[in-house]
Amino acid sequence: MTMPTQLTRRAVAAGALAAAVALATGGASAQNRPIEIQMWMGLTGLGGETLVKYGEEFNRMQNEYKVTVSFKGQYPEQRAAAIAAFRAGNPPHIMQMFDAGSGDMMGAKNAIVPVSEVFKRAGLAFNPGDFIAPARGYYGLKDGSLLSMPFNVSTAVLFYNKDAFKKAGLDPNKPPATWPELQKAAQTIRARNAANCGFTTTWLAWIQLEQFGARHNLPLGTQSNGRGGLDSELTFASNPAFVKQVQMLIDMQKDKSFDYKGRSNDASASFQNGECAMITQSSGAMGAYTRDAKFDWGVAPLPYWPDVKGAPYATTVGGASLWVFNAPNRTQAELLGVAKFLDYLRSTPVMIDWAKTTGFLPATNAAFKYLTDEGYYAQNPRAAVAISTLVNGKQGEHTGGYRYGRWTEIRDFYHEEVEKALQGRQTAKEALENAQRRGNAALRAFEKTAVATN
Amino acid sequence: MQRRVVFNDKLLPYLLLAPQLAVTLVFFFWPAGQAIQMSVLSQDPFGQSVTFVGLENFREVLADPDYVASFWRTLFFSAMVAVLALVPALVFAVMAERVIRGAGFYRTILVLPYAIAPAVAGVLWLFMFSPSVGIVAYWLKKLGVDWNPKLDGTDAMALVILAAAWKQISYNFLFFLAGLQSIPRALLEAASIDGASEWKKFWTITFPLLSPTTFFLLVVNIVYAFFDTFGIIDAVTSGGPAKATEVLVYKVYYDGVHALNLGSSSAQSVILMAIVIVLTAIQFRYVERKVHY
Repeated sequence: MTMPTQLTRRAVAAGALAAAVALATGGASAQNRPIEIQMWMGLTGLGGETLVKYGEEFNRMQNEYKVTVSFKGQYPEQRAAAIAAFRAGNPPHIMQMFDAGSGDMMGAKNAIVPVSEVFKRAGLAFNPGDFIAPARGYYGLKDGSLLSMPFNVSTAVLFYNKDAFKKAGLDPNKPPATWPELQKAAQTIRARNAANCGFTTTWLAWIQLEQFGARHNLPLGTQSNGRGGLDSELTFASNPAFVKQVQMLIDMQKDKSFDYKGRSNDASASFQNGECAMITQSSGAMGAYTRDAKFDWGVAPLPYWPDVKGAPYATTVGGASLWVFNAPNRTQAELLGVAKFLDYLRSTPVMIDWAKTTGFLPATNAAFKYLTDEGYYAQNPRAAVAISTLVNGKQGEHTGGYRYGRWTEIRDFYHEEVEKALQGRQTAKEALENAQRRGNAALRAFEKTAVATN
Repeated sequence: MQRRVVFNDKLLPYLLLAPQLAVTLVFFFWPAGQAIQMSVLSQDPFGQSVTFVGLENFREVLADPDYVASFWRTLFFSAMVAVLALVPALVFAVMAERVIRGAGFYRTILVLPYAIAPAVAGVLWLFMFSPSVGIVAYWLKKLGVDWNPKLDGTDAMALVILAAAWKQISYNFLFFLAGLQSIPRALLEAASIDGASEWKKFWTITFPLLSPTTFFLLVVNIVYAFFDTFGIIDAVTSGGPAKATEVLVYKVYYDGVHALNLGSSSAQSVILMAIVIVLTAIQFRYVERKVHY
């Protein structure tokens, strides 16, 4: 057993040598050591791996900074951890935060450095106009500056199973464009037993409330969906279109032409395994279905109600953006490193690679133009649906999203109340009124702490 | 001359206790102290505005109908988990006691689930009962049962109760088995000689003599259902649908981590802390005295 001993001895010697060198060179080595930049993300799977890869590529390109991209749990857990780290005085430099968390971050003015400000302080050129307009509107201020940098952008679309359509005698090249058409198609699918469930949805609140609002240019609340001020009140329950949508789901649930399959992305498996013939879903699911769905499927824009005036409008952005944390001990050099890494992430080659690899939408106009000119969307018509609904759809006063604190919680109020309605324990109207009442209580509490902060 | 090692008898006990005390202080007392401190403060998540509000958070929590509903739900959940974990465990223990050949094998099999982490146990059950891909859900559908724990609150509750109870059966089994082995043979033999049936012997001798063990396990199981089922619930239902499986400990997590409502979440933790202190006190006062080792 000489090997381990030798190895240990060698390791000890190497360690001692390293320590001696460090002592001898002292301050000089500290200067040569790259500056650490921490980035936390909430992505798993392909998206997460790709983002980690960009960090490594950036490190190979230069030796002043060392970026570490790490997964710290799903967005809510990651956010709680980052906030705890902020309170302890050592938050990550960059944090990826999902759409619904944006309002909370915007309310924490002292905790973040707006991205436009980061680039300005670093002396790097930054034009918010480089980002696609919907994302710019979602994450920006009225003066056009950006608070966070849009990165993984998605929107809601309808995926449908062409094989099930054929089996039900429906035209597989004519997906339903409106909700009444979808309802009819789903009922036909059930009646001819082409699938066990006609239609399901992921991300209930995001799609059936937020995206639904944008698609019909209907406000969720007053003060331009919360952009005008923290005193915004939610008003969606008094809008008959939102009520009608929930009522439609309740009616369809009865004959399984709609089947509720759970919150967040839970329903996705039931489309992927052929159980449900249609699903409203994030465009980000494209990659998974391309790889795993064993049937012919298509993508269509999110349906709308033709009787709502002016509909359809564009959908709104989802996904996540990158936030830069503020902390008392942050140096100018670190800020420069953060700016340079963000600059790398938004560069056209990275954006193109990101869109092609993960199925997320390109966040910058240049990347979108490049992919269009290259013929990527002509060759991949399924990938073209999401970006064209988002960017080329009609823009209205309420298509640009919302800005509310505690929105993750408010989404869950909506989930809970609609679940109760689907269980038959309350009406569609009651569900929305309860969600709205609880949501407004949370908004008032948020307003109180936010006003106390600023 | 005798060689004797003399320790400084004042210092040594403390030195030996120090590691355990340090762990307890850092991982139990410190967070508990912080919870108490934060329960009387109102603050934004980033800690930029912190105000002392006294018992306001407690008042709000206790006046919240959702909290009260969650409390009753937790009682129901705990009672069901305790019963479903105790009864089969007792049956298994009685059976395993009678087995002569391969006793070690059966016992090992019965103890195995205890070694599985709660979240893993949760995922296991979630997978079997998942409406889209689960094998048991598939059977239930064949039988004509409209099984959907994602929408039906009763289905969801049944699922988390089953998963939580299943994981605790092993623990109860071990204690019941030990309890059975400590019952004096002479009593059982005497009863046999008097012609008592197995059933009669169980109810008049075994069960009463097991009562200290049963009572101890009841308290332990309730504590388990109250506090240690977080992983299972998080993995299986995340407290849904429509709060149908949101027990107190899950609500603490949700309000703290998802809603970032630190004051309310801390106040709820303190209430839970009070409950566990009471349960422990009951256990020490009424159980420890009566258990014969």
